[in-house]
Amino acid sequence: MTDIFSDKPDARYRLTRTRKLIRNSVHRLRPRRIGLRNRILLIFVAGALLLSSVLALVTYSFTRSNLVDQRVSTETNQAITNARRTQNDLLRSPKEILIALDQGGSAHRIIYIDNTWTGSSPLFSRQMIPPALLQRVQRDQKAASMIVDSLKGQALVVGIPLPRINAMYFEYDNLREVRDALQSVRLALALAAIITTFVGIALGVFASRRAVRPLANAAQAARAIADGRLETRLEPTDDPDMQALTSAFNDMVTTLQERVERDARFTSDVSHELRSPLMTLAASVQVLESRRDDLPERSQAALDLLSSDVARFQGLVEDLLEISRFDAGAIRLVLEPLSLFEFIKQAVSVSSLPRTEIRCDDIAALVAIRGDKRRMARVIANLLDNARIHSGGKPKIVIQLADDESPPTNVWIVVEDDGDGLIEGEFIKIFERFSRGGAAGRRAGTEGAGLGLALAREHVTLHRGRIWAENRTDGIRGARFIVELPIDTTQTHDEHTHE
Amino acid sequence: MTVGIRVLAVEDDERIRASVKLALEDEGWIVDEAASGEDAIAIFAKHPADVVLIDIMLPGIDGFELCRNIRKSSDVPIVMVTARADTHDVVAGLEAGADDYLTKPFAPKELAARIRALLRRVRPSKPGHSKLLFGNLEIIPDEGKVILNNAEVELTKTEFRLLCELANDPGGVFSRELLLDKVWGYGYFGDGRLVDVHIRRLRMKVETDPANPTHVVTVRGLGYRLQS
Repeated sequence: MTDIFSDKPDARYRLTRTRKLIRNSVHRLRPRRIGLRNRILLIFVAGALLLSSVLALVTYSFTRSNLVDQRVSTETNQAITNARRTQNDLLRSPKEILIALDQGGSAHRIIYIDNTWTGSSPLFSRQMIPPALLQRVQRDQKAASMIVDSLKGQALVVGIPLPRINAMYFEYDNLREVRDALQSVRLALALAAIITTFVGIALGVFASRRAVRPLANAAQAARAIADGRLETRLEPTDDPDMQALTSAFNDMVTTLQERVERDARFTSDVSHELRSPLMTLAASVQVLESRRDDLPERSQAALDLLSSDVARFQGLVEDLLEISRFDAGAIRLVLEPLSLFEFIKQAVSVSSLPRTEIRCDDIAALVAIRGDKRRMARVIANLLDNARIHSGGKPKIVIQLADDESPPTNVWIVVEDDGDGLIEGEFIKIFERFSRGGAAGRRAGTEGAGLGLALAREHVTLHRGRIWAENRTDGIRGARFIVELPIDTTQTHDEHTHE
Repeated sequence: MTVGIRVLAVEDDERIRASVKLALEDEGWIVDEAASGEDAIAIFAKHPADVVLIDIMLPGIDGFELCRNIRKSSDVPIVMVTARADTHDVVAGLEAGADDYLTKPFAPKELAARIRALLRRVRPSKPGHSKLLFGNLEIIPDEGKVILNNAEVELTKTEFRLLCELANDPGGVFSRELLLDKVWGYGYFGDGRLVDVHIRRLRMKVETDPANPTHVVTVRGLGYRLQS
């Protein structure tokens, strides 16, 4: 970023820059593709694999050299004994070379005497004697041994000079026992390495779970708080590493809870305090109204204004109180099984549009829901009010099953109007508190405070339903509001349940 | 018929009391005022009212206590005023002996309508039915008497009317909505808890074993029925 604006560092520019910086650092902080848990697991597995392999290799090479050394020294000693015996035999009867060579054991032997090589077995010929060994025995007249690589693996060749009969004695041992032993050791070590790796994986899984558990707990708690369960706290812990997080988290939630409760209490207190004077106002206005005819014309006009606004005020306070109850989570629904069609008919009859057309097919007419009569009636009344105020025309209610599932699980109550419909961006916003639709001027008069749809949404949500708005798709201009409610499938509508 | 009704209004807010008094006097009724439960007991003893209106939130002895106190000596209809309809207050008030309730702020017209409904006379039973017998339970509508096992039972006016409604069609099933309409004058949106609590109270008085009712029985999913 060049600093061409640096001579006029206005606030907006600085803000964008700060935002960019934050975004960049957030980007950098963003966890890599592998999660913490998998990272811990990976480290454990890699560690276990490395450790067990190194251990196995070291053990193997150590065992191998030990085994081979031991074997070589045994073989060498044996060869020396054999050579001596052969020498004695040959001293006694020089012609019986082959008999002299037969000293038992598994070794193959060759003797060089009178410029002739004589072997006990075709498996060992003089070509197999390394020149270095031959030279050492022949020239230096010293016993020596050497490990050679043969087709069948390593083998030991021992060479011994026999000066008394002027001969050289060689013994060949294929070290099969050592090879077999090493084979077993290799197998055992490989097995051990595999087991160790698996143990490492298990430990890794365990450790990563343990390591991540506080984080998972914190995430779960945060979700619970976001869902409105503000009393959620993290368990206090002895772990000094986690203590900082736990106490900071809990402090944050406490502060948040206090603030939310203070706000809710304030709304509730204000509304409660307003109720008593409202009560007096309403009663007094009624006394005046019963004497309306005795009043001069101007006083009558003033009284009409007064009484209609007292009613409006009363509605507003009721709505505010209900909203503050939602915020405080203090709503207790009085649930009872309701035949939906009958309920809608009754709810419409007490609304501001009692003659609204209701359409309901034969199947939807059988649907029952569990609902709080008065609160659900408010939802219907508010939706009809909204349609009346915005469309000016006649809204219509359609009751239909939400899906083709059998048995049906949800039912829709659709309130359609033939007004101007909604514009992009309003679909969600109209459910916000005190929202008055996109263009405030579209609202006829000043009726309603903009709490009706917000309350409807809260009520429907409490009934485990959904509410949303869309424009009509049947070619007619207008909006439709859909309330989706779960169908009551329990057939025992009996005792009222008070929740 | 409703001219000359005497209402005792128990409310600690002086201005509400004054405005309710004005509005009810417009109906042609006499209104006694009490600012506390203690005052109310004294005034009620001196001038027994036809209806008592009690705000639950009172200084000193509260509305529930006052309800129970009045119920000890009188079957007068009691309307209580609560802050909210969805709290336990409503059920607690009804169980303390209230006949109906209103939530603040209410219109005095609504209150007057409630009072009129509570004071409606028991519908005259069919001629020749001056005495209704349900096993060990005997109802004499014209005299307002109920006799269980040869002993007279004290019912409040509302309980008596509820029982008479059920007795008008022995064995017939009455839904909550129907009873709300006939006894309290409410429509579809009446509070079903009114019926439930009153049925419970009635059973305490007319059943030999209220836990296993034999007269006022529940018909699952439909309502209530009176039988022998």
